Amino acid sequence: MQRKVVFPQKGLPYWLLAPQLAITLVFFFWPGGQAMYMSLLLQDPFGHSVQFVGLENFRLVFADEDYLQAVWRTAYFSLAVTVLAMVPGLALAVMADRVIKGGTAYTTAMLVPYAIAPAVAGVLWLFMLNPSIGVMAWWLKHAGVAWNPTLDGSDAMWLVILASAWKQVAYNFLFFLAGLQAIPKSLLEAAAIDGARPFRRFYTIVFPLLSPTTFFLLVVGLVYAFFDTFGVIDAVSQGGPASATETLVYKVYKDGIHSLDLGGSAAQSVVLMVIVVALTMIQFRFIERRVHYS
Amino acid sequence: MKTPIRLLIPALLTACLSTAAQAQTEIQFWMGLTGVNGELLSRFGEDFNKSQSDYRVVVSFKGQYPEQRAAAVAAYRAGNPPHIMQMFDAGSGDMMSAKGSVVPVSEVFKRAGLQFNPADFIPAARGYYGVPNGDLLSMPFNVSTTVLFYNKDAFKKAGLDADKPPQTWPELISAANKIRSTNAAACGYTTAWLAWVMLEQFSSRHNIAFGTKGNGRAGADAELTLVANPLLARQVQTLVDMQKDKSFDYGGRSNDAAAKFISGECAMFTQSSGGLAAIATGAKFQFGVSQLPYWPDAKGAPYATTIGGASLWVFNAPKRSDVEFRGVAQFLNFLRSDKVMTEWAKTTGFLPATNSAFKAMQDEGFFAKNPGRDVPILSLIAAAKGDNTNGYRFGRWTEIRDVYHDEVEKALQGKQSGAEAMLNTERRGNVLLRAFERTVN
Repeated sequence: MQRKVVFPQKGLPYWLLAPQLAITLVFFFWPGGQAMYMSLLLQDPFGHSVQFVGLENFRLVFADEDYLQAVWRTAYFSLAVTVLAMVPGLALAVMADRVIKGGTAYTTAMLVPYAIAPAVAGVLWLFMLNPSIGVMAWWLKHAGVAWNPTLDGSDAMWLVILASAWKQVAYNFLFFLAGLQAIPKSLLEAAAIDGARPFRRFYTIVFPLLSPTTFFLLVVGLVYAFFDTFGVIDAVSQGGPASATETLVYKVYKDGIHSLDLGGSAAQSVVLMVIVVALTMIQFRFIERRVHYS
Repeated sequence: MKTPIRLLIPALLTACLSTAAQAQTEIQFWMGLTGVNGELLSRFGEDFNKSQSDYRVVVSFKGQYPEQRAAAVAAYRAGNPPHIMQMFDAGSGDMMSAKGSVVPVSEVFKRAGLQFNPADFIPAARGYYGVPNGDLLSMPFNVSTTVLFYNKDAFKKAGLDADKPPQTWPELISAANKIRSTNAAACGYTTAWLAWVMLEQFSSRHNIAFGTKGNGRAGADAELTLVANPLLARQVQTLVDMQKDKSFDYGGRSNDAAAKFISGECAMFTQSSGGLAAIATGAKFQFGVSQLPYWPDAKGAPYATTIGGASLWVFNAPKRSDVEFRGVAQFLNFLRSDKVMTEWAKTTGFLPATNSAFKAMQDEGFFAKNPGRDVPILSLIAAAKGDNTNGYRFGRWTEIRDVYHDEVEKALQGKQSGAEAMLNTERRGNVLLRAFERTVN
């Protein structure tokens, strides 16, 4: 039975919502609206000459070969980061789930990378893999790998992927661990009695039961790779060499801040806005419809 | 009777404090320098504050030049830009086209009733930051040009004469090959500021116009002419060929390659003369300084290199008072004094921006006592002048520099030739110039 709580005054709910609504309006709708408005204008940086050009900025963005390349690059980057952050996250969670003594300490230690700022994470990996001074670069050199992220585009790409994924492993770990602990032990015990070995138990019982968590983390991971990796890329490669690590969000920054191309940059950020809205909607639909096994 | 007086004290105190605050006008100065150079510039601000009581200069670092410029533009649009902003050479074209946003420094001094003669500044700086009627738009402050730093220890190890640095590109190539074949260093040569050195300074050194309309000086409708000057593609191809055996090794954009030279990895390094302080502090070897190499088969070469570094721009704003502009003029006047200019030049390796500071350093025997320190001056001032040694003035140049970096990096990765890199840079650069033209007209 459901109990309904009804506020006696009509106005109170709105007052309670007001702070959140104000924040949403000031920090989301207002800048979002500004970006949409600016994406229709051609102007000099100082705003002396402002012309309305309709959708020309969007046309230029989609006609720009560099932009289309950045779209593919971003897809590749985001998928790689998400997968590389989820697989170790899951593996570590499965192992942590079995730890009997000192589980809390282990879990806490696992969470540390998540607390590190993206730029710092980028610099950490940059140091380890710097061709001149990095310890890992030294190993690679001795293993006979020609490692040079300063000039080699795919080396640079792997560097930003590793740094971005590493940071997100902790987040995935935490959610997977919570998901694992929610799985009824009786199911696993029953399977064990039936003679299912650990690996079989994992992929016939655990993994399907984890699928809502996995799907949630996939979407969150993609959004993270799309938007929050700016700090890593800026600290590690600044989008180079030869645009090899220039993702969509980095391109917005470069065109807007470095080049002061306000219209083109605003048009690109509107495109990104559409992408993130689409991702969020997909997630909501699937989460609502997700299958309950309980 | 006691109570009212006690009550009055805080009110009186507040009144006193607010008049004291009002008496000092604050001048915001945004700089784009870090490290030794930034610390010294901040100290100049403090020195000025101690020297008088009417104004208080606040020197702040808001990020590298492009980030700082974006912040200043946003502040300008909000009606409150910094009073003075330091802007690097590549940003000059954009600043000059922003009429109404900046007040020419000549006028700032005139309004404040202070003597200001553009002829006091060294000719190269005057030509770069001035307008045809002789007025200066911005005040040259940190003036530099490209020089070649070389590791004397590595030269000796390779069996090269440490007192005879390469003068030409063929000499540099053979020195780099010798360094590699004897393994005196892991890489022969590297460079900072790729576009600045290989396009802008290189063009000046060979008197090449890499754009129409007098390198963009005569109008916003100028176009890039990189393909028409095959020497530019030859230079890129040279680097591409050298990259294969590490006689040249690319060290990244902007200043990143400095670490390669300072650590001893690369034996030769083209860099701004303003990079001297960092090298002198960091390098654990003997190093020498020489002029930027040239191609001896280019007609008339070597010509003078051109000016680099940054200048100081004064922003206009609707609510800015005459008192504030007077403070700006006072501070700029302080910065251009011989005392400040000579200390600046001696410590950092930048050139003295004024003739009198230059002369003061000469009279004091500074150049005689410090061999190599006259190299940038010889390269910038004493070498032959041509039609195209006076710098360029294109809009959106920071972006075009990045296009050049992008295309040359592709060539260095082996994805295209030097000629293709120049063709693509010209095409993409001209698209940006046309967009710029539309926003100024």
